[in-house]
Amino acid sequence: MQVYLPIAEMSVDAFLLIGIGFGVGWLSGLFGVGGGFLLTPLLLLIGIPAPVAVASGANQTIGASVSGLIAQGRRGNVDYRMGLVLFSGGLVGSVLGVQLFALLRRLGQVDLAVSFFYVVVLGTVGGLMVMESVRAMRRRGRPGHRRKLHEHGWTHGLPFKVRFRKSRLYMSVIPPMLIGGAIGLLSAVMGVGGGFMLVPAMIYLLGMHTAVVIGTSLFQVVLVTAMVTLLSAIQLGTVDILLTLLLLLGGVAGAQFGAAMGGKLRGEETRALLGLLVLLVALGLLWGLVRPPTSLFSAQREY
Amino acid sequence: MKALPRCLLLVAWLLLGAGGPARAQDQPLVAALSQAQVEVTTGFSGAGLMVFGSTDQPIGPGGDEIIVLARGPTRPIVIRRKVAVAGVLWVNGPAARFAAVPGYYVITGTRPAWQLLPEPERQKNGLGLDALPLESTGARAPAFRRALLEQETASGLWVEDQTPVVIEGNRLFHVRLPLPATVPTGVYKVEVLLVRSRRIVARQPLTFRVDRVGTADRIASVARDQPLVYGVICVLGACLAGWLGSVLFRRS
Repeated sequence: MQVYLPIAEMSVDAFLLIGIGFGVGWLSGLFGVGGGFLLTPLLLLIGIPAPVAVASGANQTIGASVSGLIAQGRRGNVDYRMGLVLFSGGLVGSVLGVQLFALLRRLGQVDLAVSFFYVVVLGTVGGLMVMESVRAMRRRGRPGHRRKLHEHGWTHGLPFKVRFRKSRLYMSVIPPMLIGGAIGLLSAVMGVGGGFMLVPAMIYLLGMHTAVVIGTSLFQVVLVTAMVTLLSAIQLGTVDILLTLLLLLGGVAGAQFGAAMGGKLRGEETRALLGLLVLLVALGLLWGLVRPPTSLFSAQREY
Repeated sequence: MKALPRCLLLVAWLLLGAGGPARAQDQPLVAALSQAQVEVTTGFSGAGLMVFGSTDQPIGPGGDEIIVLARGPTRPIVIRRKVAVAGVLWVNGPAARFAAVPGYYVITGTRPAWQLLPEPERQKNGLGLDALPLESTGARAPAFRRALLEQETASGLWVEDQTPVVIEGNRLFHVRLPLPATVPTGVYKVEVLLVRSRRIVARQPLTFRVDRVGTADRIASVARDQPLVYGVICVLGACLAGWLGSVLFRRS
């Protein structure tokens, strides 16, 4: 069934969009990531103009994440206080990121920069996650071996300490704000919510309790993508609500199935799978950068 | 769809033929469009538009020839060329910016324009993709223009001599302009040219509009005129969809 998208100004198969939404929503519920890093490339693949794909992808991520967030919230797995602290850093980071994106666009190097960021960030994050979770799986079953709750390091000397009860942390707000800021910057350049970077950062850098990591990251992703959607609608006019709603039609169902399945998997298994997926996307994009292009020329409509 | 052109032709025949020879002589060429407006609804998947008309002398080989040219609204397009850095990494290099590229360009005729007109005449009138005036800034190599042409032709929005103008009984000509699902909205200009002994002796300009209507139009106009409201609706709509999903699929 063909449907005309009013902002993208093109008509596409509605069932294709619903299917893409379902797949991405499923991963979103399973791993607690928005899925933007998969959705945006997929939309580009079916011919949606890049600015519309990025903005509408962010908009769809809100819906998919809200769905997952409610599922997690019901189980009490969201640290709202930590989410707000991360977001306050993310606000600053994403405003800076938007400026960087505008600069890259003027230089005509958005494609390269985005691919490059993806390869480096996804490659690093994916590699670390796979390595760590494999180690954790090996360790499992050995009795008497228990990880320390968290390490004491230099971050504990920082001021503005706050108690994050859900995360089982008592720490300064500065590290989470810095992490939120860095991820906000990257997510504005890469056009994604940033959940796939946030999940490992919360586990390895902040030492948050694993049970609340996915719910909290979904909470932060909802806030970031809501802001990206608003900014895109106001400044660029590139949010296609029909595209969003079609993707969501599949996405909300997918997210619920994903969340249900995520409950059955062990933490390290989830992380290994997410790590592998992230690595796969990174390799695909790296291939796109080094493969001799089929056409040397590319056309881009100016908005 | 088959019955419609026949019906139109009959109407045209009555209008033009029955109008009397005196009127036809005043105007060597009379042409019209089947629609003044093409409506793009949310279910739009492409359309077609008939151009038809008649001349005061027999049309066909040895007689009058017809060229039909249609152009859509223009938009700026940048063509970039990739270059290999260090032999392995492909990055965007030089770019050419074409400020006014027609979003739709269809040319057809009873025969291809290059057969009907002397070359300077054809170039001067911009009849044919190779004669299309395209101002560009930046990189100047002809390969950029070629790449733009390839891109637009592949998208089906630029069409040259795909289906010829059909002649009915030496008197009536008609051709269907294909409008794929990706046609840009705006004002389209159609020009019907009458070629007699390798010269353009008459031309009739026509226009039609491609407009979004109904839901598609309302969405686009709210997005354009009240972006803040539209943005908030998008955010709330997505939240609502997510909430609905979690209610519908709730498992106890």
